[in-house]
Amino acid sequence: MAGKSGRSINNVPESPIKKMIFSWEGILVILFILVNIFCAFFSEFYNLSSVLRQMPIYLAEVFLMLPMAYILVMGEIDISIGSIVCLAATMSCIVCNTGAPFIVVVLTGLLVGTACGAVNGLVLTKFQELPTMIVTLATQIIFRGIAEIVLGSGGSISASNTAGFTAIGGKVGSVPYILFLVVILAVIFAVVLGKTTFGRRVYAIGTNRKAAYYAGIHVQKIRMIIYTVMGTMSGLCALFLVSSSFGANTTTGNGFEMDAIAMAVFGGISSTGGKGNLAGGIIAAFIIVCLRVGLGQRNVHAQVILLIVGVLLVAAVALPNIIGEVKRAVVKK
Amino acid sequence: MKKKVISALLCATMVLGSVCSVFASESETEAATEAATEAAEEAGTEAAEETTGGSSAEGQKIALVGKSAGNAFFEVAAASFQETVEAEGGTVEVVYPETATADAQIRVLDNLISQDFDAICIAANDVNALQAKLQEAMDAGIKVSSFDSAPNADSRQVFVNQAGTEQVAQALMDAVYDIAGGEGQWAILSATSQAANQNAWIEAMQSIMESDDKYANLELVEVAYGDDEPQKSTDQTAALVEKYPDLKVICAPTTVGIAAAAKYLQDNGSTCKLTGLGLPSEMIEYTGADDAHSCPYFYLWDMQGLGALSAYTTIALVNGDITGASGETFTAGDLGEYTITDAADGGTEIILGDPLQFNPDNIEEMAELY
Repeated sequence: MAGKSGRSINNVPESPIKKMIFSWEGILVILFILVNIFCAFFSEFYNLSSVLRQMPIYLAEVFLMLPMAYILVMGEIDISIGSIVCLAATMSCIVCNTGAPFIVVVLTGLLVGTACGAVNGLVLTKFQELPTMIVTLATQIIFRGIAEIVLGSGGSISASNTAGFTAIGGKVGSVPYILFLVVILAVIFAVVLGKTTFGRRVYAIGTNRKAAYYAGIHVQKIRMIIYTVMGTMSGLCALFLVSSSFGANTTTGNGFEMDAIAMAVFGGISSTGGKGNLAGGIIAAFIIVCLRVGLGQRNVHAQVILLIVGVLLVAAVALPNIIGEVKRAVVKK
Repeated sequence: MKKKVISALLCATMVLGSVCSVFASESETEAATEAATEAAEEAGTEAAEETTGGSSAEGQKIALVGKSAGNAFFEVAAASFQETVEAEGGTVEVVYPETATADAQIRVLDNLISQDFDAICIAANDVNALQAKLQEAMDAGIKVSSFDSAPNADSRQVFVNQAGTEQVAQALMDAVYDIAGGEGQWAILSATSQAANQNAWIEAMQSIMESDDKYANLELVEVAYGDDEPQKSTDQTAALVEKYPDLKVICAPTTVGIAAAAKYLQDNGSTCKLTGLGLPSEMIEYTGADDAHSCPYFYLWDMQGLGALSAYTTIALVNGDITGASGETFTAGDLGEYTITDAADGGTEIILGDPLQFNPDNIEEMAELY
C-alpha cells in the first residue's frame, strides 16, 4: 500500500503514525473534519439530518467516481459518462411509461448504460492507438445525440409511474438507501482495486502498458471490462437521478464526468496513471458533498461554490509539490 | 497499522460530526424558542395592526428561485418582488441555480428546504421534474408559489400568470383596429408555426375578430412565419409589403419578429405600420406617433407589476389569507383586488391583467429596464 498513495509527500521511511498523517488520505481526513466544522459554524442549518436529506443527488455522482478511478489509474479517461447517464435515464423513463414492472425499468437503465460502456470498450480495444479522450468525446456527442433525437430538441420526458422510483429514493430512518449502496459498492470497488490480482494488473497497465502486456496481462480484456462496468454504473447513476426528478431531459447528467474526475483527482488518484487508491477518492467525494451542502445552505452564489471547489482542487493537486519545495528549501539552508 | 489509524480517525470524524449536529440543533431549538417568545410578545401589537387592515409580511423569510443567473428580464421582476416584500417588512433571498436546468434547481430547492423559509416562489426550468422536491417543501410547511414559468399543477399552490391569452389577444386586436383606422388589410408575422404560445394568441385574435362586428371591416390577409430569426423575419416582412400594397398594419407577437419588421418598414419608409409584442430596449428607435417611425405603440408584460403581484400573492399564502384554491380573493397592496382562477393545466392561477403598453411617452424610461 505504501507507495501507492497518489501524492506521497515524503519518501523517507518514518514512524507509521507520522507517515499515516502525512499520507494524502490522512490529510483528506483532516480536511474532511475541518470542512465539517467550518460548515457547522457557517450554516446554522448544517447538521446530520439536513446533510443526509440533501445527500442523494450528489451521491449519484459517487457511483461514477468509483469506476472512473480505475480508468484514471490505467492512465486513461472517459468523458462520455454524462451522456450515458442522459441516455439511460431517458430510456428507463420511456420503458417506465409503457407500464412495465419496475424491475424491467431498472434492467433497462443498467443495460442501456452497459451497452454504451461496451461500445466505448469495443472501439477502444479494437483501435488501440486511438486516444481515449477523443473516442469518448465522440461517443459523448453520439449518446447525447441519440437521447436528443428520442426526446426531441430541448425536450424532456417525465415518468408517469413514479412508485418504483419513489421506492429506491426512500430512506431507512433518515439514512437514504443510496448511501448504503454507495458504501457497499465503494468497499467492493476499493477491495478489488487494492487487494486483488485484477487491481494489481490495473496498476500495472497504468504504470507501463507495454511492460504489462509483455508480462502476460490481458490488457485489452481488462480495459473492455472496466469501460463496460463504467457504463453499468452510469446506468445506476441515471436510475437514482430519475428517482429525484421523476424524469429526464436533454441536459440530464451534463458535466457529471467532470465532477467524477474531480472527486477522484482530489482523492489523490493521478490522471497520468498507476497511482492513487479509492480510499482517497471516497473521502474526497464526501468532502465535496459536505462543502457544497454547507455553502448551499447559506445560499452562497452557485458559481462561487463551484469556484471554491475549483480552488480547493487546484490547491489539493499543487499542495504536495509546494510542501516538497519548502522542505527542500529548508534542508538546503 | 495504517488502516487502523484511518478507521480511528474516521470514527473520530463521525463522532465529531454528530456532536456538531447536536450543537447545531441545540442552537436551532434555542433560536426557535426565542422566536416563539418574541412572537408571543409581538402578538398583541400585531393583532392591533391587523385590525387596521392589510396583512403585512413582518418577519417572513421568502426565497425567490430564478431559472438561471443573468436574465435581465427576470431580474426586473425579481427586484420588484424584493422591494415589495421588504416594504411589507419581510426578507427575500434571490437564488439562482448554477445552470438553467431542472437538476440544478433541485439542488437549490434541497438547500432551501433545509433552511427555515416561509415560502418559495419559483420560475421553473421544467414542468414536471420539480414535483417531488416542491411537494417535499409543501409537506415541510413551506408555501409554494410561482411566476414566469409554472411547474405542474401538483407542484405549486398558485401561479401568477403575466398575461392571459385572452388579454394579450384583445390588446393586440384593439391596437390593430386603432392603427388601421377601423378598416383595411392586416397581416400577422409570427415566430414558428409550432410555437404554442404564438398559435394560442393568433387563434384568440381570430375568434375575437369573428365574434365582434366592430372588426368586420378588417381583413387578415396572411399569417407569415419568420422562425424568430432576424433575417427571415425581415424577408417575410418585405414579402408581405410587396404582395399586399394596401397592407395597413403588421402585427408581430414575437420580440424578434417585431424588431426585424420595425427596422425594415422604417428604413423603407413604408406606409404600413406595426404593432405586437416587443422589448422596449430593442424598439426605442422605431417607436413614435409620426410617419418617420414605423411603430406607434406595442405591448409586453409588465415585469415590475408581475414581481410585485407575485410578492403580494406569496405573502398572502404565508399569512393564510389564501390557500391557492380557485375563487379566493385577496388584496395585493396598491395593485388592488385579485381573484384566483382555474388554469389550463388543472392548477390555479392569478392573471396579472392586461399587457403593458409601450408608447412614445414611457418607452425611454422602460428601455432602461428591459
